[in-house]
Amino acid sequence: MEFGWTPQENAVRIKAREFLAANLPADWQATAALSPGSQAVTDFSREICPKLHEAGLLLSHWPEEYGGVNASAWEHFIIGEQLWEVGEPRGPQYYNVNWIGPTILEYGTAGQKNYHLGRIREGNVIWCQGFSEPSGGSDLAGIRTRAVRDGDRYVVNGSKIWTSYARLAEFCILVARTGEGKRGVSVFLLPMNRPGITVRPIASVVGDGDLHEVFFDDVEVLAGERLGPEDAGWEVIRYSLNFERVGIPRYALALKTLDRAVMQLQAASAFGPVARQAAADAYASCEGARMMAYEAVDQRSKSRPGSGIASMARYAIVLAERKVADFVLDWAPHLFSSDADPMVATHHKRAIAAGLAAGAAEIQLNIVARDMLGLGVARGL
Amino acid sequence: MDFDYSDDQHLLMTAFESLLERFRAPPPGQHGYVAYSGELQAELAASGFLEITGQPGFGLLEAAMMTEAAAHCPVSVELAASAMLGAALGLAAPVAVAWGVGRPVRFLPVARTVVVIEDGRVTAGTPCADIARPVTGVAAYPIAVLSALPHDARQLSGTEAATVRRRALIGVAAEAAGLMRGAVGHTVQYVRERRQFGQPLGNFQAIQHRLAEDAQLVRACRWLAFRAAYADDAKEAAVALLYAQEAMRKVINDCHQFSGAMGLTLEFPLHLWTYRLKVLQGEAGGRGAQAGSVADQLWPLADAA
Repeated sequence: MEFGWTPQENAVRIKAREFLAANLPADWQATAALSPGSQAVTDFSREICPKLHEAGLLLSHWPEEYGGVNASAWEHFIIGEQLWEVGEPRGPQYYNVNWIGPTILEYGTAGQKNYHLGRIREGNVIWCQGFSEPSGGSDLAGIRTRAVRDGDRYVVNGSKIWTSYARLAEFCILVARTGEGKRGVSVFLLPMNRPGITVRPIASVVGDGDLHEVFFDDVEVLAGERLGPEDAGWEVIRYSLNFERVGIPRYALALKTLDRAVMQLQAASAFGPVARQAAADAYASCEGARMMAYEAVDQRSKSRPGSGIASMARYAIVLAERKVADFVLDWAPHLFSSDADPMVATHHKRAIAAGLAAGAAEIQLNIVARDMLGLGVARGL
Repeated sequence: MDFDYSDDQHLLMTAFESLLERFRAPPPGQHGYVAYSGELQAELAASGFLEITGQPGFGLLEAAMMTEAAAHCPVSVELAASAMLGAALGLAAPVAVAWGVGRPVRFLPVARTVVVIEDGRVTAGTPCADIARPVTGVAAYPIAVLSALPHDARQLSGTEAATVRRRALIGVAAEAAGLMRGAVGHTVQYVRERRQFGQPLGNFQAIQHRLAEDAQLVRACRWLAFRAAYADDAKEAAVALLYAQEAMRKVINDCHQFSGAMGLTLEFPLHLWTYRLKVLQGEAGGRGAQAGSVADQLWPLADAA
């Protein structure tokens, strides 16, 4: 057990910082506040991701044959901290490198790997995630979108909701029912330009481009576009969610936001003893969340499943983000109610969605209770 | 970064855990308020574990690991201060840490050294009956009120004093992490066995979610305390203890709530952990002092900058 960084890890952090200093435009913070699914951030992601790849910072943790250098899970996470801290210039493409790519690496056929991982490597492909539905979000087993097999293809009918990035996405990692019960689902890598797909944006408080409805009317998907075996979607989903839950070092932006709010208060001579306590408390929560996330990364770097630990980490991150958001509302409301600091707006939008994305916070607690505490399920009430 | 024991740490902790083995089960029958084991204290002194920070390849992190592991036992023993600061400063064990004169001090009745941390100075000396008035109460530590500085008290140098201030916090944080792990572990076991409405209490989500939150807090406390020990850093020490003192408010109350009236009895061992935690809640000035210290180190006041 030790809690230091290797010289290599320190070098990667410095390299990522220097890259960002050289490649982020002066007005980047205002762009980032528009949220990852916006046209502006999506466009920018197509500019910067190829450069990140060129610098070895996009997918260094991938195997060499797919464009990586077999770097450790730690190095990728360190890069993620640096990128998230400045408002995530990869925009929607963080999905690709954090968990869609790794899931395809684990379950994809050789053809799927070549086709999709090559595109992700180029840094200009946008994905969306078709998991939640009006009838089943937290209860993924309740999904109704159905893919009916017809020879070497399936016909998909149904709808998805809350789908981030769908309007601009070229591909969707889609969960659809192919059998009965909780286990009867399969995962597909569906091109979004297929006839029969309709995307409707949902106006929201988390920003433009982050929430959509997606409708599927007799959409054709080929058997070769299925990821993993038929009816084995649950395993694929679980694998991907472990990456997604601790994919984003959310505390990094929260800490930066806290620091900026404090600097504003100091400048206005408004950082008194009570505010100092509240700021320290939020800081400690972020540091606790950071250590939980690091434990999850440690598990990942050792190829352990670590589902309960990822859920614990996610829960700690959600609470820490809220503490920082509340600190701003309590002590620096002028930053919330104005455009004085776009980073505060960016953080607020991310923070309020954190307890819902990648499984509601209560689902994480269920997983912890079951997997880590060995507690059962209530019956007959 | 590595969250698993190294081979050497594994050997060390296996040996240390085997020393704790006999003290792991709560003694049968009624437990007194004070759960202190002079026998374990003597074994610790004889074992050499208290000098761990001086051993090649080991350091403060290993002392924190042992502190956490010992606190997980239902009996208390003074280990943190002896191993973390006493050994480095040549102080005779057991070491009691007092945050000022006139206050109740953990382990003072059994200590051979008392370190007194005050604003502006840190002193160390030998306690005696004249200045240590034993108190009775419900706290699970042996406690006495320190009425004056020891007659042989010597003021520590600036560097020594900084070491004491920093490591005393890390010791309390590591001890709190082990105590909370003990309390939550005992409670989880209880709600698995205790049946109501025809099933284990632990089946109910109202209980599950709160215990899952507690388990997360305990784990984060442990990592923050260990990281602070690894870094031997003043800010991280204050962060670790702030997080622990904040967490224990919820953890103590949840564990008692889910243990029902059984948790109020002296027969049920929960109090052996929680009534030590209640003492630690206000240690070193409590979470307010820790938060102030974290803020001062992160965002120095204008006139101090």
